[in-house]
Amino acid sequence: MTTLFGTPDIAIGMKESISRVRLFDGPLDLGWRHCATTSDFIADLFALRFRSSRNDYMEVRHSIGYLVNELIENAVKFRAPGEIVIEASMDSECFKLKVSNDVGGEDASEFQSLLADITVGDPMDLLIQRIEANAANPDVGGSGLGLLTLMSDYGARLAWIFSATDETDRICVETYASIPISQPTTK
Amino acid sequence: MKRCQAMEIKTDDYRVWTEESEIFFYGAMRLASSDAGAPIAALAASVLASNPASITLNLKDLHFLNSSGINLLAKFTIEVRKHPDVRLVVRGTPDIPWQSKSLPNLKKLHPAVVLLMD
Repeated sequence: MTTLFGTPDIAIGMKESISRVRLFDGPLDLGWRHCATTSDFIADLFALRFRSSRNDYMEVRHSIGYLVNELIENAVKFRAPGEIVIEASMDSECFKLKVSNDVGGEDASEFQSLLADITVGDPMDLLIQRIEANAANPDVGGSGLGLLTLMSDYGARLAWIFSATDETDRICVETYASIPISQPTTK
Repeated sequence: MKRCQAMEIKTDDYRVWTEESEIFFYGAMRLASSDAGAPIAALAASVLASNPASITLNLKDLHFLNSSGINLLAKFTIEVRKHPDVRLVVRGTPDIPWQSKSLPNLKKLHPAVVLLMD
């Protein structure tokens, strides 16, 4: 069974030329530090074409790095043991990303109920409401704030597909993201 | 105002320290959870506890802050909001993109925040 959350039109696509990074579990001892190194690497790679303008370069490199870092952080935090696959592409209008990993059944249900709450409504209003709720009750945790920050402050469009795997109590989560990128100004 | 003891938190990636009632942040901060940010929250809370007329968060050298870190700033802003006699100044720079994108949210939480992007 497959369940979709978020903007359906970005959940397909990625037909363009795709760069793929696969983080294996075993020899890497996959950890927090890999989020930064991987997202910096992908941001450097995709921002290269903007290097003729320092401002464009800094902006694009930061936005891509921020998006990729947040989504890999989530994958590292919540994944079931196993690899994380990161796929990225850029066209004339946006940078697109897909992060795939497995999660346990219970984590998948909790994540789905969080997504049901944060994908309906204005992301900025939801972000402020969640920050207030989180500050009033520290036990609630900061869940969803990263995703809402991406949507409200970076104009990210996000979608998720949950599908069954061959193993029981293991669900595959694909997170799709797209952020607008203004192309380098031609001189 | 009680005198505030200088404090510092130092890791390979970032440094946070106080000079009087100004809190300086330097480097790239990628907190894994709110627990990871607890020492910084405690540092900021102790500056607030010294009851200064004004607190400055100086972020001009903080190149990267993930969403856990942004939440930490937001929570501290809400704490300061409970003390209407304490002025909160946030100093950032438009040269660091996360700051222009996310710092204006602090004013939504506490309209009296003085946001200086220079």
